[in-house]
Amino acid sequence: MVGRSGWLKLVIWATLGVIALGPILLLSIWSITYSWFWPDLLPDSFSLRAWRYAFSSVARLDVALLTSLGIGAIVAAISVLIGWPAARVIALADFPGKRLLLFLLLLPVLAPPLASTMGMHAVFLRYEVADTVAGVIMAHLVPCVPYAVLLLSGSFSRLETGLEDQARTLGANVYQVWRYVTLPQLMPGLTVAAAFAFLISWSQYLPTLIIGGGSVQTLPLSLVAFQRSGDDPIAAVLSLIFLAPAVIVLLLASAGGPADAPRCRR
Amino acid sequence: MSRFRISILLLILLSGLACRSADSARTGGPDRGPALDPAGLVRMNWDELSIQARGTTVNYAMWAGDEARNRYFRGAVAGQLRERFGVTLNIVPLSDAAEAVNKLLNEKGAGRTTGGSIDMIWINGENFRTARQGGVLWGPFADALPNIALYPEAARQRDFGTPIEGFEAPWQRAQFVMAYDTARMATPPRSVPLLMDWIRSNPGRFTYPAPPDFTGSVFLRHLLYHFGGGAEKFMDGFDEALYRQAADATIAFLNQIRPLLWRKGETYPTTLRETDRLFVNREIDLSMSYGPGFASERIARGEYPATVRTFLFDGGTIGNYSYLAIPFNAANRPGALVVINYLLSIESLLDQGRMIGSIFPLEPDRLTPADRERAEELPRGPATLPLAELSRHLLSEPDVRYLERFERDWRERVLQQ
Repeated sequence: MVGRSGWLKLVIWATLGVIALGPILLLSIWSITYSWFWPDLLPDSFSLRAWRYAFSSVARLDVALLTSLGIGAIVAAISVLIGWPAARVIALADFPGKRLLLFLLLLPVLAPPLASTMGMHAVFLRYEVADTVAGVIMAHLVPCVPYAVLLLSGSFSRLETGLEDQARTLGANVYQVWRYVTLPQLMPGLTVAAAFAFLISWSQYLPTLIIGGGSVQTLPLSLVAFQRSGDDPIAAVLSLIFLAPAVIVLLLASAGGPADAPRCRR
Repeated sequence: MSRFRISILLLILLSGLACRSADSARTGGPDRGPALDPAGLVRMNWDELSIQARGTTVNYAMWAGDEARNRYFRGAVAGQLRERFGVTLNIVPLSDAAEAVNKLLNEKGAGRTTGGSIDMIWINGENFRTARQGGVLWGPFADALPNIALYPEAARQRDFGTPIEGFEAPWQRAQFVMAYDTARMATPPRSVPLLMDWIRSNPGRFTYPAPPDFTGSVFLRHLLYHFGGGAEKFMDGFDEALYRQAADATIAFLNQIRPLLWRKGETYPTTLRETDRLFVNREIDLSMSYGPGFASERIARGEYPATVRTFLFDGGTIGNYSYLAIPFNAANRPGALVVINYLLSIESLLDQGRMIGSIFPLEPDRLTPADRERAEELPRGPATLPLAELSRHLLSEPDVRYLERFERDWRERVLQQ
């Protein structure tokens, strides 16, 4: 039953699979490698040294993971909260200077992170939020909020405001309209926006390093230290752990994503 | 639009919460001990200092890219400090000491002169000079440390030519070594002229990490010493005429051998790690490092074949000290002083040699015969040279200005040619 287009599909899926899973497979091999010398195709001996180190108490991986997860979750929540009104206005209202506003909202993504972070550090020092988790969260919001606005405004532009009016005509109060009419329509976009904000926060290195000043330790900081020093098995273990939430979040986001979006338009 | 208003309200609420939590994070921190001034330090009784340090936490900013080091400092050293002095050691991990120096410079710029989050830092060379010029170190303190007495005078005076003036305490020692695989090479080139000949007769089998990588940079300084007529000429400050003569000859040589380097010298590895990978993958035949124990460590981790060995140049290889310093705004100075003094003790240095393979940094002539014996009997890895041999071949670093000038000239006149 496999026709020509079937084969084509198979080839495309196989290629995508190799591209997506290849690096993960390679990292998995590296993480248990003891020695791997050219020209051997596969390592000639294996060891769990890197995994044992990662899960030993000296690696402080538990602290780094919890810090990364906590900061990511808070940043995602705040990004969506800040992004919500901005996205609604941008998607539904029309007013002079709208393009300028959009540009200003996206500006933080365009600015070189090193320059903006150094500037932020000076300000944060003055207000004594440098070296704190709160400071790092604020620093992460800078690149996360624009993405949240962008993704949410996509959802808002597909929002059927007529349905809100209809519900209100039928006697629903403000909360009921929001809960039963607006939110279900926006839910897929909301999930994706929160997931993206989380992932962007999760992968921040420079702002955490500078604003956190070493007092706030997240996973990327340990990962970079080992990558730079060339301990490849440990860097591979940390990379795999670093990848895991990204994969989970993406799977969740795509499961609850636009495919399941309630289709209200006729 | 009431939803809009609710969102705004929530935002205001949240930002208020964020500020409050930042406040409590700052004031709710552990007790960090009283301030201390350098003048009072000299008069201060060391026991008194230990009493002040008891029960405090010391935040130690340290390069944290090495498993053995992380294990050792977070485990054994932290335990020893807790047991002996009641001090808690908290490691602030860095990928590069420059990160901490930049942070301190920013803090200085913002006027944060007290309550800093770093109490001590592992530093040397350019970072020390930057920190001193920026005025972000506290001191002088080093000469008041009881355990500094056994360090060589030279290491206490200058760090890459920069006068130390008591603003950092010498701690660990590094020395340049090269590595080769006995399975591939019978006799390594044991001098700069021999190495130059070897590069000429083995096209494509050698390269070095591009400066500012510090290993590539120190490798090039050996050539600079060679073409300048010997290391001893570079020991008194910066001499423009000497620099020009040595740099011109070195650069002429580097340009001459470039077609004989790996990939015809069109590109250079940018880090020691990349160079090392070329060595392991048998694309080049020599690797190099500032750590005399590096090859043994890599053999133990399975990154190097067991047949790799290290060697020195007959005319000596360049070595230096790394130091411990205290930031200008360190909150816990008594604690930092106690920890630094402990890390400089013979007991701790022997332990560091056993546990993380550091070379013993004290001057052998000043040790008691028993201590000298203990230092010489420290276990070495299969590829590490004996301490006495390393010491016999030790050359000092030149003034840091030679280094900076040559790195710039290398970029302009070798890399961009």
